[in-house]
Amino acid sequence: MARWRVGVDSGGTFTDVCLFDEDDGRVEVWKVSSTPDDPSRGIAQGVEEGMRRVAPEATQPGAPITYFGHGTTVATNALIQHRGVKTGLVTTDGFRDLLEIGRQKRPDLYDMQADKPPTLVPRDLRFQVAERVRHDGRIDLALDEDAVRAAARALKAAEVKAIAVSFLYGFIRPEHEARAVAILREEMPEVFISAGHEIAPEFREFERLSTVVLNAYLGPVMRRYIERLTPRLRDLGMTATPHLTQSNGGVIGFGTAAAMPVRAVLSGPSTGVVGAQAIGELAGFPDLITFDMGGTSTDVALLNGGQCKLASEATVHGYPIKAPMLDIHTVGAGGGSIAYIDGGGLLKVGPRSCGADPGPVCYGRGNSEPATTDANVVLQTLNPEYLLAGRMKIDQSLAKASIAGMAERLGLGVMETAQGIISVVTANMARAIRVISIQRGYDPRDYTLMAFGGAGPLHAARLAIELDMKRVLVPRNPGILCAMGLLLTDLRADFAATRLMPATEASVTDVAAAFEGLVARAEEWFAHEEIAEGDRALTRTADIRYAGQNYELPVALPPGPVTAETIAALAAGFTESHRQRYGFIAEEEPIQLVTLRLEATGRVAKAKLASHPDAGLDATGAIIGKRDVWFPEAGGFVATPIYSRDALHPGNRFVGPAIVEQMDTTTVVLPGMTARVDSYLNLILEVAA
Amino acid sequence: MDTAVTTLDPITVEVIGAALSSIVEETGEALIRASYSTNIKERRDCSTALFDIAGNTLCQAEHIPIHLGSFIGIVPHILKLHDVAAMQPGDVFVGNDAYAGGGTHLPDIVLAEPIFVDGRIVAWTVNLAHHSDFADRGHQHIYQEGLRIPPVRLYRAGELQKDVLDLILLNCQVPRERLSDLRAQMAANRVGVQRFQALCRKYGTGVVLGAGAALLDYAERKMRAGIAAIPDGTWVFEDVFESTEVTTHLPLKVTVTVAGDAMSLHFDSPRQLRAGLNMTYTALLATAYYVVKSVVDPTILPNAGLARPLTITAPAGTVLNCTHPAAVNGRVQTCQRVSDLILGALAQAVPERVTACSNSVCTVATFIGQRKGDGPIWVYLETMGGGGGARATKDGLDGVHVHVTNTSNLPVEALETEYPLTLLRYELVEGSGGAGTFRGGMGLRRVYRADEDCRVRVDVSRLTSQSWGLLGGGPGGHGAVECGPGVVFERDNAELKAGQWFAIVSPGAGGYGPPAARSPAALARDLAEGTISAATAREVYRHTA
Repeated sequence: MARWRVGVDSGGTFTDVCLFDEDDGRVEVWKVSSTPDDPSRGIAQGVEEGMRRVAPEATQPGAPITYFGHGTTVATNALIQHRGVKTGLVTTDGFRDLLEIGRQKRPDLYDMQADKPPTLVPRDLRFQVAERVRHDGRIDLALDEDAVRAAARALKAAEVKAIAVSFLYGFIRPEHEARAVAILREEMPEVFISAGHEIAPEFREFERLSTVVLNAYLGPVMRRYIERLTPRLRDLGMTATPHLTQSNGGVIGFGTAAAMPVRAVLSGPSTGVVGAQAIGELAGFPDLITFDMGGTSTDVALLNGGQCKLASEATVHGYPIKAPMLDIHTVGAGGGSIAYIDGGGLLKVGPRSCGADPGPVCYGRGNSEPATTDANVVLQTLNPEYLLAGRMKIDQSLAKASIAGMAERLGLGVMETAQGIISVVTANMARAIRVISIQRGYDPRDYTLMAFGGAGPLHAARLAIELDMKRVLVPRNPGILCAMGLLLTDLRADFAATRLMPATEASVTDVAAAFEGLVARAEEWFAHEEIAEGDRALTRTADIRYAGQNYELPVALPPGPVTAETIAALAAGFTESHRQRYGFIAEEEPIQLVTLRLEATGRVAKAKLASHPDAGLDATGAIIGKRDVWFPEAGGFVATPIYSRDALHPGNRFVGPAIVEQMDTTTVVLPGMTARVDSYLNLILEVAA
Repeated sequence: MDTAVTTLDPITVEVIGAALSSIVEETGEALIRASYSTNIKERRDCSTALFDIAGNTLCQAEHIPIHLGSFIGIVPHILKLHDVAAMQPGDVFVGNDAYAGGGTHLPDIVLAEPIFVDGRIVAWTVNLAHHSDFADRGHQHIYQEGLRIPPVRLYRAGELQKDVLDLILLNCQVPRERLSDLRAQMAANRVGVQRFQALCRKYGTGVVLGAGAALLDYAERKMRAGIAAIPDGTWVFEDVFESTEVTTHLPLKVTVTVAGDAMSLHFDSPRQLRAGLNMTYTALLATAYYVVKSVVDPTILPNAGLARPLTITAPAGTVLNCTHPAAVNGRVQTCQRVSDLILGALAQAVPERVTACSNSVCTVATFIGQRKGDGPIWVYLETMGGGGGARATKDGLDGVHVHVTNTSNLPVEALETEYPLTLLRYELVEGSGGAGTFRGGMGLRRVYRADEDCRVRVDVSRLTSQSWGLLGGGPGGHGAVECGPGVVFERDNAELKAGQWFAIVSPGAGGYGPPAARSPAALARDLAEGTISAATAREVYRHTA
């Protein structure tokens, strides 16, 4: 029986399935509408339909699946829309306002009208209990268990669904937190509880508190999701362990993901970056700006030499999170974003989205507010009759009527208003790309725009013009690049232990012991993932600083057992790195080891993207029709050739205006742009010089 | 060599402008990451900037607005004291003086380094760190406040001038931290030099300098357009300043005149005092630039162009424009009050753009002690936020740094690890937000316990005055000092014995609009969260539910 590896990316609007035959390297894709009320339904449906297509011989569709990787926007969307659960907090007496005060910095240095993001636990649900642990692990004041119990009862009466527990120094000595959690569990066994020492056992009480509160706030949402998805996959006959991508692009099991949703807030977007990285490298464009525009949100990231920056802490939608994550910028706008006229009479788009249900007006499911998709349907950049390669019938007249209503209020024509919606969307997207490029000192003109997600290729050409970028790369399967990314990445897990130690011979035994502990955890993980001995790799690093600094530099350990020479090499490596980075060293200052890290990589068979022979310049064989498409650049409707992406071959070349249709997306080629197909079937658009 | 200043397309100007911003942000990050003192590594009480060869600010990082006041004087002072032709790559100047160095107070030590491209100085990278030192000093005049450093070379052609360093360190109470933070400042300038040179290599020096000049013009244009949108007229506003240091009410007055696309601000205040609250002229400029930019258009680039439409005057020898030898250590208190003073005047012209009076001060506590057994001296400085003024359409922010300061608080877990102090409570002060349709922000209370004997000096204000509300809004709560049993507080300092506690309360901010018009839903939330009392709801807000 064939063995299939399956990647599933579940977005707010569509669920993408990518299937990879381990034996012959074949890649197939399938796409279904998401089911936002219970995303697991759409996932199971997509996997079942996809598998039945590629492996009709299997008695149970899930049986041939050997690996299941999954990226989800469940946590992100709940955070963006503030749709987590009612959450309570139990913290050290005297510090209940810390969550609101933060670091005392205001949200914007100059804008006096700016606001902080909403505090996720209101003041009346923040309880403080007497207890005090000191920085050296001493207990100054024992935990007031009665106060914890009283808080538990009050939180129960308030019907919270989750509780965060975070005490000062809980990461140094967790007994008080653990005891408080136990008492809360006794009183409220069904409630989701997150504790600081488990979620973010690191120094700096506010950032830790913020992380724990977010974890609690999102916990029940993620748990409910996983609890529904797991049995559905089992019912399909799947026996492989399901995995989920974390914000750092690495992969974890469902169990860990359910307990640590805060590590998965960038789960969906990070898989897209991993996919873009692999495809960009093959196509010869390692310097990329990724533009992943879905139905509900859009993610952009910058890859320099194929690498996306990894942060150990980041602020996501205004909330600090201590967890490793790729440097991805998200905006709450996509193909499903709703256009409206604001109080000042200006046309705005998003962040409100119509989602998959009821969907845009043209779906005819009862929505009457026009979405970006409706504008594209009216402009006929999107097929005015069917979406998803004929699988979904739509009604252009409904879209037109809703935009006409808006046009009347604006005093504009219908087509101008539809085009206006696209212009506003393009400007919003350009602003997002400026954040990750120009604002960080990178010139977007030096990068290739890689467009994916269901709506990316539809808007990429205009976005490139807006940013003066010269090239757009549309991968072969842009609508499912995130899903494909899941099949192009090794399994990865990170293990860390924070132990303040001098970088001297005296620490040899402790460092060796700490790494033994980490290796044991990694071995356990390898075994659990059933990774063969030969496919396992471990990388050891130490975060090091001068005692007195608060930021560390990572230094790789030399191979072999930990000896006095190892420590000496670490100290030397740190000194060199410090000199390189800061231009000085402090010879008289003691060097301190802070965190020891072990990265475990399990090499897996990856989808192989095949190179295809050149089929010549002529692309006319791929033309499947013509339709009028509105191009203001050309003065209005232009009879435009429609190409079938499936029929385009390497070497084919054509000039815009043109529309390229495929099941998972539509690509717009503006008048004057040239399009060519490379040997990996990527479509490359170039702006005329 | 490519030095021609060319006319540039708007995208190139924008990209280079953003690259300059990213250079100053990156130099700031290097400074913070390499530093040792809690005031820099966690509280980020530092700033970085790039200047052109004439000493105009090309770009200031978004750190602390008042630091601009300590920056803008240094390059001109260096140029006055040193021969440009004799400068070499790797020269680094150090300075802090309020009168001979362009600074605003002595703890802000500035390092400035010329950036050479093709053998010629093309710009300056400058950074400032607030060294938490010069503590427990007098403030009758500047000679009591610490070591005065005119701009002198700390490095000559990359070679450390050890004599200079030794002289500085001997005058500091915590020399180990000073040395380490000075090294971090060096590291930051090194990043600034390298990045700016790389930018010149990429675009050509002429293009970079041309873009720099275009960016100043652009900021000026935006500032003028913003001012032109404010009605013409003259507005006067008055308030008082008092604090733990000077308890009598000092009258402060501003006269703001808008005429077309230009604005003038004239300040009247008492003769300079034998106290640390005096402001140098550069501190006044930095304060006015900050406030006007915030009101006119917060997105204007923070460079020298925005100052061109502004005329700022105050009689020399007064509190708001002091002259040698006035003490200046606590100038930020006064700068904060001046910020709100300007808002009070502009509120008469554009009430929807301003806020009611914020906590209007920068509450400071400085602890100093000596480790047991003749150990090293330790100094811990912290500044506290307070209420942010209520806005025309929403409540003020609770417990934030306002106006010309914006430091982070030190995590409790760092504070207690590094110093013999315990933070017992850290909370919002209930009832301290001024009443209004939109409530003023609440002040903060921090309760400290000394774990070893030490001294504390504070700057606490709004002890007897209050932050004003706007259009019917009520005033914010007072600032205060609270002493545990046995603690004797005199004027602005106290000695703490091990085990004794001491608390500081920062002021709340003014409200906006009449309290009776506050929405019932907002009031219900205030009551549930305990931010106002039932009595206040009933008596001030006329809440009947």
